[in-house]
Amino acid sequence: MNVMRVLPLQFHMDPLGAVFAVLTLIIFISSGVFGIDYMKGAKNRKSFGLFFVLSMLTEIALCAASNLVTFYMCYELLTVLSMPLVIHERTKEAKMAALKYLFFSLFGAYGALFGIYNLSRFASTLNFVQGGSISAEVFAADRGLLLAVAMALIAGFGVKAGMWPMHAWLPTAHPIAPSPASSALSACIVKAGVLGILRSIWYVYGADHLKGTWVQTVFIILTLITVFMGSMLAFKEPVLKKRLAYSTVSQVSYILFGLAVSFGAVDPYAAGGVSAHVSDAMTGAVLHVLAHGFIKAALFLIAGAIIHHTGATRVEDMRGIGLKMPVTMTCYTIVSLGLIGIPPTGGFVSKWYLATGAIATDIPVFMYLGPAVLLVSALLTAGYLLPLMITGFFPGAEYREKIKGQDIKCEPGPLMTIPIATLTLLSLLIGLFPEPVIALIRMIFV
Amino acid sequence: MILATVLLPILSGVTVSLIRWKEKRQMHICTLAFTVLTSILVWVMILTPGAEEFTLLTFPGDLSIAFRMDGLSMVFSGMISLLWPLATLYSFEYMEHEEREKIFFLFYTMTYGVTLGIALAANILTMYFFYELLTIVTVPLVMHTLTRKAILASRKYMYYSLGGAAFAFLGMIFIISFGSTITFRLGGVLDMARVGTRTNALLLIYVFAFMGFGVKAAVCPFNSWLPDAGVAPTPVTALLHAVAVVKSGAFAIIRLTFYLFGTEFLKGTWAQYVVMTVTIVTIVYGCARAVKEPHIKRRLAYSTISNLSYILFGVTLMTPFGLVAALTHMIMHAVMKICSFFCAGAVICKAEREYVYELDGLGYSMPQTFGIFTVSSLALMGVPGLAGFVSKWNLANAAIDTGMPLAYAGVAALLVSAILTAIYMMTIVVRAFFPKDDYDTRVNLGIKDPGIRMLLPLYLFVIAMVILGFNNSFITDFFISIAG
Repeated sequence: MNVMRVLPLQFHMDPLGAVFAVLTLIIFISSGVFGIDYMKGAKNRKSFGLFFVLSMLTEIALCAASNLVTFYMCYELLTVLSMPLVIHERTKEAKMAALKYLFFSLFGAYGALFGIYNLSRFASTLNFVQGGSISAEVFAADRGLLLAVAMALIAGFGVKAGMWPMHAWLPTAHPIAPSPASSALSACIVKAGVLGILRSIWYVYGADHLKGTWVQTVFIILTLITVFMGSMLAFKEPVLKKRLAYSTVSQVSYILFGLAVSFGAVDPYAAGGVSAHVSDAMTGAVLHVLAHGFIKAALFLIAGAIIHHTGATRVEDMRGIGLKMPVTMTCYTIVSLGLIGIPPTGGFVSKWYLATGAIATDIPVFMYLGPAVLLVSALLTAGYLLPLMITGFFPGAEYREKIKGQDIKCEPGPLMTIPIATLTLLSLLIGLFPEPVIALIRMIFV
Repeated sequence: MILATVLLPILSGVTVSLIRWKEKRQMHICTLAFTVLTSILVWVMILTPGAEEFTLLTFPGDLSIAFRMDGLSMVFSGMISLLWPLATLYSFEYMEHEEREKIFFLFYTMTYGVTLGIALAANILTMYFFYELLTIVTVPLVMHTLTRKAILASRKYMYYSLGGAAFAFLGMIFIISFGSTITFRLGGVLDMARVGTRTNALLLIYVFAFMGFGVKAAVCPFNSWLPDAGVAPTPVTALLHAVAVVKSGAFAIIRLTFYLFGTEFLKGTWAQYVVMTVTIVTIVYGCARAVKEPHIKRRLAYSTISNLSYILFGVTLMTPFGLVAALTHMIMHAVMKICSFFCAGAVICKAEREYVYELDGLGYSMPQTFGIFTVSSLALMGVPGLAGFVSKWNLANAAIDTGMPLAYAGVAALLVSAILTAIYMMTIVVRAFFPKDDYDTRVNLGIKDPGIRMLLPLYLFVIAMVILGFNNSFITDFFISIAG
C-alpha cells in the first residue's frame, strides 16, 4: 500500500536548481530595489512587500526541492502567494485578472498532480534522479497510460509557462501588476513551469522513454504554435506592458521547444561513448532561461520607469521617450537587440544553440520547421520591440520643433536605473562569455 | 461501560433540560462536563486493550442489541468524541443570538449518544436502530429556529432520511436471511451456501441499501435535504451536517460493504460499477453546485456533499487501500469542514452576513476568523502540507492501484473537484481580504473577531490540519491495521 504517512519534505540544492535559484535572486532583488522608488507613496505597500518577499522565498524553495511532492507543494504555494501581487491595484479588472491567474495556474497544477499520482505508482521513487526512475519494463507494460501521464505533466506545468492553449491568463495577469511584480512574474515565476517539466520528465519520468512518441510531436507542435502566436499577438498589441507579456508567452515557448526536441538526446560531443542527456537544444533552452530572464525583467522595469515618469502606457504615446530618458532607453535598445537575437547579446547565443540543436536532431519535419518558426518569430520580435526605440530616439523634426527650448529630461533616479543597467549588463555578459554557463549546463545533465 | 457511553449523553441531555437553571452559565458547565466525561469514557475504552462486548437484549432467532468496540468503531467514536466537546464550547457563544437554548442542548447532547450508538453497534440490527433514532433526535435541531423555512427543511430531512432507512431496512432483512450471522465481520458475513444462484438479487439489494444509507451521506440524487438543513444553527450544521450525521451514513456504508456483504462478493460486479459511478457523479455535482451558490452555509453544504462522496469513492474501490484512504478522508474532512463551518458561523453570528457578496473587506475586521478560513480553504483545495492533500493523495493512489478505468474517471473527478473547490473557496477569501477599492468601509465598522470560546476550537483545528498534513502516520498506521 502506497499510503502517505509523512509528507516527504526534502530539500537539496543541485546545480540545476541553483541556476534557477540564482536567476530568481537576481531578478527579485533588482526588481525589489526598483520597487523602492516605484512604489513610494503607493497604497497597500506593506502587503505588496510581504507577498513579494514570500514569493521569492517560495521560488527558491521550489528550486531546492528534491522530490516531486515537495516541488508540488512549493509550486502551489508560489501560485497562491504571488496572486496578491496581481491583485495589488484592487480594481475590478485586477481582481478578475488575479482570479484568472489563480484558477488557470491551479488547473495546470491539478493536471500535473494527475501525473504525479501516477508517477508515485509507476516510478520507483519520487526523488529527483538524473535520467528518471521508471524502468523500461514498467514503461513497456503500461505504455499507453504512461504516455498520457507524460502529456498531463507537460501540459499541466506548461500552463504556468504560458503554453498554448492555456496561455490566456498570462497577458491578462502580468501587465496589471505593478511593474516590479510584472518583472518578477514574467521573468521568473513563469520559469517555475519550465522547471516543473524538467524535474518531472527528466528527473522522475525519464525523458528517454518519450523519444519519437506522439507526446513529443504534440509537445513540439504546441510550443511552435505558442512561439508564433505569442509574437504575432505582441506585434499587434498597442499597450507596452501587454506587448511584453505576449512576448513572454512566445519566448518561454522557445525554451519549451528546446526541451521538446531533446527527449532522449545524446550529446554529440560527449567523449568516450558516455551518453550525456544534453543536446545543443537543451543547452540553448537553459541559456534562454537565463537570457530571457534578464532581458524580460529589464524590459518590464523600463516599462515601469516610463509609466512612473511620463504616465504613458501605449507605445504611440511614447514618442521622443529616448530624448527624455536616454540612459533607460539605451538599455532598452540593448536588451531589445538581445531578445531579437542579434550578436553579441545573450539572446543570440541561446537561440543559436536552440536552432542548431533542433537541426542536429533527426526528428522529421520539425528539425527544419522549428528553426524556421524561431526565425519568423525573431523577425516579429524586431517588429514589436524596435518601433519604440526608433520613435523614441528619432521622433522626427516636427516633435523636435515642438519641444525646442524645453527641458524634457526626466531620467529616473539611480534606484531605478541601476537595476535596469545591471540586468542589461548581465544579458550582455551571458552573450559575450557563454562558455562557463554552457560548461555548467553540460555538467548538470551528464 | 460501553453502554454507559451511549446512555450517558442521552440521559444527561434529558436531565439537564428538566432542571430549572438559575443561571445559564451553570447549565453550560453542566452540559460541557457531561460531554467531556463521555469523551473521556470513549477514549478510555479506545486505549484499553481488548475488545469489550456487551449484549443488551437478545431476541429469538439470533437477533440482539449488542455493542462492541472494534477498530472501525474506534475511528468513528474517537473522531466524534474529540469534536463534540469543542463544538459544544463553540455553541455556547453562538447560541447567545438564538433562542430556546435548553431544547437545543437537550437534543444536541442526545445526538452525541445516538451517534456513539451507531459507532459502537456490534451488529446490523443495533446500528439500524440507532440510525433511525438519529433521524428523530436531529429533526428538532434542524427545526430549531421555527421559521417556515426551517420547518419545511426539517420535514424534507425527515422524509428523505426515513425513506432511505426503508431501503436500508431491506438490506438488513436480506443480511438476516442470507448471512451466517448479523454481527459485523471484516470480509463479510454472507453464507454462500444460502445465497446459491441468487447473486444478482443480492447485488441489487446491496445497491438499494447503499443508496438507502447514502441518503444520509447525501449521494446524488438524494442530496437536496443537506443544503436545506443548513437553516439550523451553525453548531448543528458544522458538527452534524458536516461530520456526525452525514458520516454516520458513510460509516454505515463502510459496515455494509466491508463487514456485511464483503468485498470479495462485490468486487468486479455490476453493483460496484453502479455505486462507484454514483459517487463520481456526486463528487462533481456537489462542487459544481457549490460554485453557483451565493449563500455561505449552503455553499459549504454542497462542498460537504462532494467531499462525502470522496469517502464513498474510496469505499467503492473495495480494496484495503481504498478503505484506508476513505477513513483518512473521513478524519481529514471532519477537521477541515468543521473549521470552515465554524468560521462561517462566526461571520453569521458577529457580522450578520450570510451571502458571499456581502463579505467585501470583512477580512480586515475579522482577521483571525478569515485567516483561519483561508487555511481551511487551502486544506480543502488540497495544498500539500495541510490535511486535504494527504487524503486526496491516498484516494487517488488507491484508485490508480486498482487499475480500473472507472477508477481513473474517479481520479479525474477528484481533480476537477479540486479546481472547483479552489473556485468556491478562494472567491470568498479574495473578497474578504482584497476588496474592490470602492467598497463601503463603513458597513464593517465595529465588527470584531469572536471571543475565545469560538476562537479556541478554530485554532485547535488549524493546528490539527497542519499536523495531519505533515505527519499522519499515527492514524494511517492504525487504519492499515484495521483494513488488514
